[in-house]
Amino acid sequence: MAKVGVYVCHCGSNIGGVVDVETVRKHAETLDDVTVSRENLFMCSDPGQEIIRQDIRDGLVDKVVVAACTPRTHEPIFRKVLEGEGLNKFFFEMANIRDQDSWVHAHDHDGATAKAQKIVDSAVAKAKHLMPLEEKYVDVTQAALVIGGGVAGIFSALELANMGNKVYLVEKDPSIGGVMAQLDKTFPTNDCSACILTPVMVEAGTHPNIEMLTYAEVDAVEGYIGNFDVKIRKKQSYIDWKKCTGCGDCADACPVRTPNEYNAGLDNRSAAYIHFPQAVPKKAVIDMESCINCGGRKIGSETRISKKTGKPILAPCERACPAEAIDRSKPLDPQGEILDVKVGTIVVATGYKVMEKDNFKSLAPDSPNVLTALQLERLISATGPTGGKFLRPSDNVKPKTINFLSCIGSRDERYHTHCSRVCCMYMIKQAKLLKEKYPDLQIYMHFMDVRTPGKDFDEYYTSALEMGIKIIRGRVGGIDMLLEDKLKVMAYDADLAQNIEIDSDLVVLATAIELQDDIKPLAQKLSLTLDGSGFFKELHPKLKPVETPVEGVFLAGCCQGPKDIPDTVAQAKGAAAAAAVPLAQGRVKIDPTISEVNRDKCSGCGICEPLCPYGAITMTKDADNHSRAIIEMTQCKGCGVCTTACPSAAIELHGYSENQIMAQIEALTL
Amino acid sequence: MAALNLSTMSQEEVIQAVVDHGGEGITRCIQCNACASVCPVAKAGFPLFGRLLFRKLQTGHYEEIIEDPSSWACQACNRCTEICPRDARPFEIVFAFRRMQAEELAISTSAFTPLMNLHATGHAVYADSAKELRQSVGLPELPETSVADEKAQQEIQTLLENGPMGELGIF
Amino acid sequence: MEKCGIYLGCNIPFRAPDIEQSFTKVFPPLGIDLVTLEGATCCPAWGTAPSFDIDTWLAVSGRNINIAEQKDVDIMTGCNSCFGVMAEAKHMVEYNPARRKKLKESLSKIDRTFKGTSDVFHISHVLHNKIGLDTIKKNLKYTLKEFKIAVQPGCHILWPSEVMDIKEDNPFFPTMLKDLCQVLDADVPHYSALNGCCGMGAMRSTDQDKSFNLVKTKLFSMKEEINPDMIVTTCSSCYLQLDGAQKILRERGEIDFEIPVFYYTQLLALCMGFDAANVAAISETPRDHIIQKIQSEARLIKEVENEVA
Repeated sequence: MAKVGVYVCHCGSNIGGVVDVETVRKHAETLDDVTVSRENLFMCSDPGQEIIRQDIRDGLVDKVVVAACTPRTHEPIFRKVLEGEGLNKFFFEMANIRDQDSWVHAHDHDGATAKAQKIVDSAVAKAKHLMPLEEKYVDVTQAALVIGGGVAGIFSALELANMGNKVYLVEKDPSIGGVMAQLDKTFPTNDCSACILTPVMVEAGTHPNIEMLTYAEVDAVEGYIGNFDVKIRKKQSYIDWKKCTGCGDCADACPVRTPNEYNAGLDNRSAAYIHFPQAVPKKAVIDMESCINCGGRKIGSETRISKKTGKPILAPCERACPAEAIDRSKPLDPQGEILDVKVGTIVVATGYKVMEKDNFKSLAPDSPNVLTALQLERLISATGPTGGKFLRPSDNVKPKTINFLSCIGSRDERYHTHCSRVCCMYMIKQAKLLKEKYPDLQIYMHFMDVRTPGKDFDEYYTSALEMGIKIIRGRVGGIDMLLEDKLKVMAYDADLAQNIEIDSDLVVLATAIELQDDIKPLAQKLSLTLDGSGFFKELHPKLKPVETPVEGVFLAGCCQGPKDIPDTVAQAKGAAAAAAVPLAQGRVKIDPTISEVNRDKCSGCGICEPLCPYGAITMTKDADNHSRAIIEMTQCKGCGVCTTACPSAAIELHGYSENQIMAQIEALTL
Repeated sequence: MAALNLSTMSQEEVIQAVVDHGGEGITRCIQCNACASVCPVAKAGFPLFGRLLFRKLQTGHYEEIIEDPSSWACQACNRCTEICPRDARPFEIVFAFRRMQAEELAISTSAFTPLMNLHATGHAVYADSAKELRQSVGLPELPETSVADEKAQQEIQTLLENGPMGELGIF
Repeated sequence: MEKCGIYLGCNIPFRAPDIEQSFTKVFPPLGIDLVTLEGATCCPAWGTAPSFDIDTWLAVSGRNINIAEQKDVDIMTGCNSCFGVMAEAKHMVEYNPARRKKLKESLSKIDRTFKGTSDVFHISHVLHNKIGLDTIKKNLKYTLKEFKIAVQPGCHILWPSEVMDIKEDNPFFPTMLKDLCQVLDADVPHYSALNGCCGMGAMRSTDQDKSFNLVKTKLFSMKEEINPDMIVTTCSSCYLQLDGAQKILRERGEIDFEIPVFYYTQLLALCMGFDAANVAAISETPRDHIIQKIQSEARLIKEVENEVA
């Protein structure tokens, strides 16, 4: 005989203002097996909880029903109450008479009260059949994986490593640093980007707890929180990094010219190259897709000996390397090598890219003097294609007039509706840097709005006005191409309410921030989703910005949404903290309200296996050599699909068993 | 100019009228000015071109602007539609306003002749001198369009009269 | 021979019938059999039905398209405005079931319907994409080598691109008319005001002087940047505006030059050897001197003996 306690909550006026709580409480008293029935203004408050505790202590109840709000937020609170008094926490059932009753029937008090009584009937009927369940624990692998070596990934890795955790830092480029390494200066301090980033890059590269794997990508992820099995593919660099000293002689010797990604396509690099001068690690790679095999040295081919000199005939890159790190006769696998690692948690920090100017047909994309802002950043950078000299790409002449256009591809139904958040500030930064260096340069900036939230940001903007930078409110509708590669910007001054035209030497487009084209496969590997703007989706936009729906996988940086460097670093540290929690706890809790197969009843039909959305079911052979289903408890999320599909009723969903559900149906329909 | 008291402007009514006449994008316009920067009407110097017209309508102006002929200079070129970042379809808002003006016959006198021609012959542009011109280049006096086809003329008159245009009382 | 309905509009048959003649002359040798659309009316012009009532606009356009449907042909038109009116009408009807229903109701009153089986093209689409540059080249008699052409594609053939079946890769930097002129061996340099509006149509009727502001921008851009020998357009409205406005501007002393204007098929007809008295006879800005140069012995394309491939 169960001793069910029913506790009806007013929830302030949320429930009490619609449902007659006393009527419901009185009704509950009349039900079989209900030993006490009480009510309170706020059951979740301390005094409210104390009522339940006292009844348990007094031996009056051994099953608890709380008729109140939603279990999604409050079930844990009440379960804790039972646990605290020595009762199995799964002897608790919540009856939702707020979201499912008072909130939706606010105009029908009588109807709502009657419905509340029915809901309580159903909860009590189930409560009588509740079984004790035990939470299980699995050990956590004491290591973390950070995917992406930009500023977000670097800071996440450092925080985790400093806490004492082993961290794998995976980066697909030959060096860490990401987009921040391509920037010249950073707002609002105008710090040199490389100067503030390289110390952190070196720290990450030399940290005893961080295993840095650059020129590598994540191939596959299996498992679950605390126990992820990750296959990392170290791409084939064709250079022995144990020997490579990063001298760059191979790059000088290589005859290939292919667009240089580091300089945003403004100049070329060779097939053998070092990512950029401050690369960490400073190692060269050979991009085999661009390699033209100039020395006739196919990879893996035997070295021929010159009949004249008796010396081996080598390719220019092999000859140039003083450390003998390049040996084209080695039959290196073009697929690289796979590294199997086990980690407990994963931080995704894969960063972003900016839209290419070719997308914007009305803005003269074919003109060499129309650039994206990132390209301008490279142009004015000391490590850029002109060594920092401000010259027009078409004729290497110093520009006299430059126009900046904002919101290109952002806040636009045709491309991305989101605001890319950092463009207003970085355009002002670029304008200020140029105006400081070249006071005679005519700078026009076209904004729809000027968005400068952040410390010292608005002051940054107003100081730009005082420098003589001309700021115009109005979006640019088109660019005409004039002779000599000059450009006519067709703009509008909203405050003058007049069309304006400006003849310009150079036009800079602040193109939208978006994720890389190949991000979908990675998202699929991690079972992550992308939101409506194409960024990784966080678990809750307000309260869980670093968590994802996949337990144990966290987000940091622009891959979750456009943001500037201070916000990225803050989020990176937050993600690291969240990712460290399971590692620190050492074990992960498995919720027992999951499905379990009764092997005696299972006929081995296999219907359940393909239905499981989490891949938790496998067919295994028993001692009698008969194939039967088994559910991996660490992967089951208790969705119930297999339970309902099983034709032998061999699967039980704990906490939602058949007799419990049937009792609820009876209570509701009789 | 003196301050505009928005509490006295019937903004919702005007916006609804624009929507009813085919300009449903008016609520999406954020006044970014991209359309105005390339609009031929604005560049030719007409006072009430695209973006400004939408702001006037959004803020409830109607009687104040109903007589302005600028909207009749719109060429329907649709460059604005091509570049609008809000998919507000500026051209359709201008034409919605035109239709509102047309209902009150607040149209320039030059617009009447094409309408009368259209009703009579099925062609907005027609003059008898066309016959000689055609013959001079070796073509028959008249093309085989509605201009010489009574049945076709009846058809178009039926179409024109069976709608709001018929109620204007100009045919 | 492919069949295609030829929609004339108003300006071409009544104000520039030599353009109509140029159609009848050039298309058959290029493989297109022109099908007359008897009883066709005005498209209806932007300043008429579309400015009064959407459903009336769709009804008149729908009726014109139905004439072509009944003859089982697509429509091509030589006027950009007509193209814009009908292409947009067809697009609206295709994507808005309520409008489509109303259209069928209106047309049923005159014993017609709308099937949506005929596509709407511009003659430049047909010349560029269906006939193709190679076929045009094979039919040329005179070359335009060393002539410099400023092209005027017009507006409605560029925007809104979403309603067009055939369209430019980049409407802001169009290439179709440039290709069509280059196949005649002419130089077709870019000038900055190329995709600007000419100001013809409703704007000219509302305020002629303001519409001339646009013409002046265009003419000055052409003259100062590329100094062309002629202007070539595929829009009858642009033709009338650029041709007629120059006379007025010269009389007022606002421009001191003149550039002859051709509608593309007129120029093509001349290059194919047809008589200017039929195909290029009516203009305000004189062009006889250019026509004489084009159809001169010095410009005959000599047949090259073909080597066996």
